[in-house]
Amino acid sequence: MICYEIKKVFTGTKSRAALLLLTLIIGVMCWFAMNVAYVNETGEKETGPWAVARLRAAQKEWSGYLDEEKIRQVIAENKRICATPEAMSPDYRVTNIAYGWTQGIMEIRSLLNFSYAEEFRHYDYYLADSLAESQAGAFYANRTRLLQEWLEGDAKEQFSDKEKAWLIRQYETLDTPFYYDYMKGWVQLFQFSPTIIMITMLFLGYLVGGIFSSEFAWRADAVFYTSFYGRNRAVLAKVKAGVGIVTGIYWAAVLLYSGVVLGYLGVDGWNCPVQADFTGWKCFYHITVWQKYLLIVTGGYIGCLFMSGLCMYVSARFRSAVLAVMVPFVLIFLPSFVGSIKSPAVSKILGLLPDRLLQVGTAMGYFDLYTLGGKVTGAVPVLLVMYGILAMVLLPAVYYTGKRTE
Amino acid sequence: MKLEMENLTKRFQDVTAVDGISCTLTTGVYGLLGVNGAGKTTLMRMLCTLLRPTEGSITWEGKDIFRMDGEYRRILGYLPQDFGYYPDFTVRDYLMYIASIKGIRPAAAKKRVELLLKQVGLTKAENKKMKKLSGGMKRRAGIAQAMLNDPEILILDEPTAGLDPNERIRFRNLISELAQKRLVLLSTHIVSDIEYIANEIFLMKDGRICVSGTTEELAESMPERVWSVSVSREEVSSYTRVYKVSNIKTTQGCVKLRILSQDKPSADAVLESTTLEDVFLHYFGERAGEEDDLL
Repeated sequence: MICYEIKKVFTGTKSRAALLLLTLIIGVMCWFAMNVAYVNETGEKETGPWAVARLRAAQKEWSGYLDEEKIRQVIAENKRICATPEAMSPDYRVTNIAYGWTQGIMEIRSLLNFSYAEEFRHYDYYLADSLAESQAGAFYANRTRLLQEWLEGDAKEQFSDKEKAWLIRQYETLDTPFYYDYMKGWVQLFQFSPTIIMITMLFLGYLVGGIFSSEFAWRADAVFYTSFYGRNRAVLAKVKAGVGIVTGIYWAAVLLYSGVVLGYLGVDGWNCPVQADFTGWKCFYHITVWQKYLLIVTGGYIGCLFMSGLCMYVSARFRSAVLAVMVPFVLIFLPSFVGSIKSPAVSKILGLLPDRLLQVGTAMGYFDLYTLGGKVTGAVPVLLVMYGILAMVLLPAVYYTGKRTE
Repeated sequence: MKLEMENLTKRFQDVTAVDGISCTLTTGVYGLLGVNGAGKTTLMRMLCTLLRPTEGSITWEGKDIFRMDGEYRRILGYLPQDFGYYPDFTVRDYLMYIASIKGIRPAAAKKRVELLLKQVGLTKAENKKMKKLSGGMKRRAGIAQAMLNDPEILILDEPTAGLDPNERIRFRNLISELAQKRLVLLSTHIVSDIEYIANEIFLMKDGRICVSGTTEELAESMPERVWSVSVSREEVSSYTRVYKVSNIKTTQGCVKLRILSQDKPSADAVLESTTLEDVFLHYFGERAGEEDDLL
């Protein structure tokens, strides 16, 4: 029964075309993610596997624990490069040569820009160039200090005292010095993963949106509901087929994308803390890059399962594929419009909307805090647990709605 | 084998589609005849558990069919008026899928599908997509799906609608063939469909069964008799104003009228035997075929 339900979805030309289009989009996204450049000794940009290998080798030279000595070395190296005639040349072709020398320390240099910034939310690309080796000792302390200043200043009204104390404790208890390694594969993977997951969800909405309503659209409902299993196992088969399609296509899309990107750029840096990359410097979750990946793909799966469940519910309840297909569009794009309203309350609500599950990596960078049972926590664990439960509750609701159709 | 309806009523807001029907059906072919909108489809959808009655009950062997749930659907075969299918499935895939939701095990389903494909003459088309079939072939696939579980109750709602005369005759014969040892309820507004194959006919009007019986019994129930009269063309309008005319046939020099009347309409009128079409005209009069089948 389940196989036939899946067959119903995929025998149509439009569904096959949708799958083909999704594959093409994933291909394009992979190409974007793999588009990593390396500037060679002559200042020219190189791309391709050779460029990746050279960038990897350059950054690997600086891998290791980012202790005071390592930070001092990075500051010194950056200073040395900045003092070269190539770096000071007015000719951009010559300055490109100097840029090429910085590629090995570029990621750590970005961390310096964050750590030594004037304010928590400031970022000055050239800040690292003005640092002295003697400042190296403040690298980790600055991170907590800037947070404290921000919590006492701009974000004073945004958090309760308990939340502020929790955030500071999270920053203070981060295990330092942390290990740094080349991690371009993960950085690129994370950059495009929300797009991949959201696009996959839109396609899933299209595919599962017709599972129930198509019976009515094809006027096949009378035969279906008068069959022996028409009001129990056959309806359950539809729900299972929906879950199967979501599971199969989601993991195929995500693993294809991950496999291609990591296969090309490498999995190095998997065990580094997320703070070792500049996009995660301010993150208050104590997790490694690999764990971040697991959270992103798990969150994406739960999000897709929830939204697809909602699609199927609407499809069964209103017998309309059009309405059902609109569900993921609304859930994904509506928060973008509401997000323009600047209010802590709105921000707290937005932090728990299901679209965040499709972009867990991005959500980790937001300071969305919730106090549950007296304990402060970030949005990500709440999202995973809450929507995991809701998805599980939604599927029986789809089943009961589907079988009660008169 | 007994399907009983007791004061069966279905209302849609202020419209009463089926109005207090009580009757008992056993083995044999039953024809449900009525104009479009008489409530035939509503009645059939209730008998198939697709609609719940507003009042009254339907029982099979004394048990409420809605309480029987799957147990009742196991012995039911239904070909809806608006027969829908999965357009991209092949005929075989379609039947195998329906067999699966009818709870037939794959091995048994395979054999049953082979047999039915042969019986309905679709063996050659088994790998054709459903959307590529002609209207008649689709209907035959429809009857095959209804027969998959070898049902004790076979409900066919307007099975010949839209078919050409050849297909209709073929379909009628097929239904007769399948009708042995089961209860077949056949709804139509095409009189000839059931005239030949139904053991008992129900005439349905405004949600009620106004009269029932065999073709002969229905003919006898009519207070009027059937006469044939040959008149000139100029006289036709004067006859149609006064009498119910079931047929007008123009021949060389004159027009032959088939008239329903208690009295002899003219001195040279000839008494004819009553057909089901005459009965239909008597009970449904001018309304016959005028309304869309909305209910």
